[in-house]
Amino acid sequence: MYEIFGHTADLGIRVRAATLEALLADAARGLTAVIASDPAQIEPVVEERFAVAGGDPTWLLLDWVAEVLAAFEVRRMLYRDFDVVVDEHGLRASARGEAYDPLRHALAHEVKAVTQHDLDVRRSADGWEARFIVDI
Amino acid sequence: MAEVTTSDGSRGYGGPLHRVDDCTWRIPRSYRADMLVDGLIFADERLLPQLRSDRAPDQVVNVACLPGIQGASLAMPDIHWGYGFCIGGVAATDPAAGGVVSPGGVGYDINCGVRLLRTDLDLADVRPQLVPLIEQMMRDIPVGVGQGGSRVFGPDELRALMQRGVPYLHDLGLATADDVACTEAEGCIPDALPGVVSDRALARGADQCGTVGAGNHFIEVQVVDRVEDPRAAAAFGLRVGQICVLVHSGSRGLGYQVCDDALRSLRDAPAKYGLTLPDRQLVCAPLESPEGRHYLGAMRAAANYAFCNRQLLTWQIREVFARVLGRSWESLGMTLLYDVAHNMAKMETHLIGGTAREVCVHRKGATRAFPAGHADIPARYRDTGQPVIIPGDMGRASWVLVGGPRSLERSFGTTCHGAGRCLSRTAATKAARGRDIRAELERGGVIARSRSREGLAEEQPQAYKDVDVVVDVVHRAGLSMKVARLRPLGVIKG
Repeated sequence: MYEIFGHTADLGIRVRAATLEALLADAARGLTAVIASDPAQIEPVVEERFAVAGGDPTWLLLDWVAEVLAAFEVRRMLYRDFDVVVDEHGLRASARGEAYDPLRHALAHEVKAVTQHDLDVRRSADGWEARFIVDI
Repeated sequence: MAEVTTSDGSRGYGGPLHRVDDCTWRIPRSYRADMLVDGLIFADERLLPQLRSDRAPDQVVNVACLPGIQGASLAMPDIHWGYGFCIGGVAATDPAAGGVVSPGGVGYDINCGVRLLRTDLDLADVRPQLVPLIEQMMRDIPVGVGQGGSRVFGPDELRALMQRGVPYLHDLGLATADDVACTEAEGCIPDALPGVVSDRALARGADQCGTVGAGNHFIEVQVVDRVEDPRAAAAFGLRVGQICVLVHSGSRGLGYQVCDDALRSLRDAPAKYGLTLPDRQLVCAPLESPEGRHYLGAMRAAANYAFCNRQLLTWQIREVFARVLGRSWESLGMTLLYDVAHNMAKMETHLIGGTAREVCVHRKGATRAFPAGHADIPARYRDTGQPVIIPGDMGRASWVLVGGPRSLERSFGTTCHGAGRCLSRTAATKAARGRDIRAELERGGVIARSRSREGLAEEQPQAYKDVDVVVDVVHRAGLSMKVARLRPLGVIKG
């Protein structure tokens, strides 16, 4: 589960999930919801795989969401669904979506970067929670 | 001091602000043990409540701890919270004193900046064609998220843009000699290192040179509403009733990625060099270290890309005006007044303690404002002072200022950059519910076109401070003096 909040000139994403894998998947969904006005417009017709190295959940989240951003910025890919598996080396993910189509996808924000400000990933009573800010 | 709660529930700045004069406030170095210099914020009583409710003054304090910082840790009156440095933050570090360079002192949008084009047109010439002009710009000029330019630059061309800046475009016939002369640094920061810019940054920038972007970037058709300094206005070729075009954009995805790459690669630098930082977002490296030189080289490359971006936007604007008005842009007198950066770190010589020292001046959401006589001002403006362009919000005003007589002494030749936000994006979106911002602007005389619904809501005038107040403060502080006020007529946004 994610929610978007305002943070001075930028936007923040707060995430809560039962597992670290679900947290990372929802963090990516949160980024997509900042980029695209309505993620439901994205058809999951293409599946792509990602691998991100790292053992620390905080940096893993930062680097993973940055990869999802780069996929849009460089290849104009938008993803609706994510499945993430985490082990001691990092994460492997599959992302389902499609290339940006200006006729069907309304875009909301240009995300410059995923920042380190207030970046926080921690265990909670119900599993995991995280917070990160994206620069608009 | 009483605690202040910010709008997001966090505590605002509760430290000292000692009045120096009616537009300057000092945070003494004694306030915190790790400060190396005082903090100095240019603001007046009207801006103080917001200043206290924002954590930005804490960031001014943090920057005062940077190794090698000279003079004071400064902030302009459009101050608001940022990453590491506040927006409106200025700091000069001396390499000879172990001074550092910090990407947070430049920002993600390296060389975000503005330029103002003049025309020979009056309001009466343009009013009947305003909607066609704005709508043709929306059609012909890439603006908004995911909007790539018509020209995709290959790796060799990108390297040339990053190495040589606007003079490279002059060689391609996409910039005049005057365009080059009237751009800060003549459109090229020397000693750029395009070779250290990552493949990902090149990929992000390949189709974005000549695009506006989104967020607070825009192109705006304006009319000169009021002249405050007739002599400077004449020197700048400005007069009441004259149509001008303001461009606000930066280094696009290439620059954002250069900053992101630097923040990652500098992560371990403070520990390596024994630097203690109060905020990890002030990550930095000594100017005279491989890491520092690497960042400076990449930043300069991105800065030159940004100058080229604004130059290509200029070329496209000229083509739109020519197409809609049926005359060549040259016959319309569409010349460049000046182009200035407001996110940059530059090596400059300044007098510090009576001695000329070469320092790295970080300006983050702050504009260079050199006074009359400075050698780095184009010859045509040297007797007057450097033009400074300050964009306001799309409902109110923008300003042309001139570098003030006290800027070198007080702020390393620096002034403000804009109005500064006072509402977060979500607060602005909430405030926009049930309203038709486009219609409101039109009733106010501004034709606004936006690629996204979010663009207008989040960038509505009410989300910004009043630029007249900000400009008033820097005028009274002697940092930059009012020349002319411009009113928006039409704007395109992402």
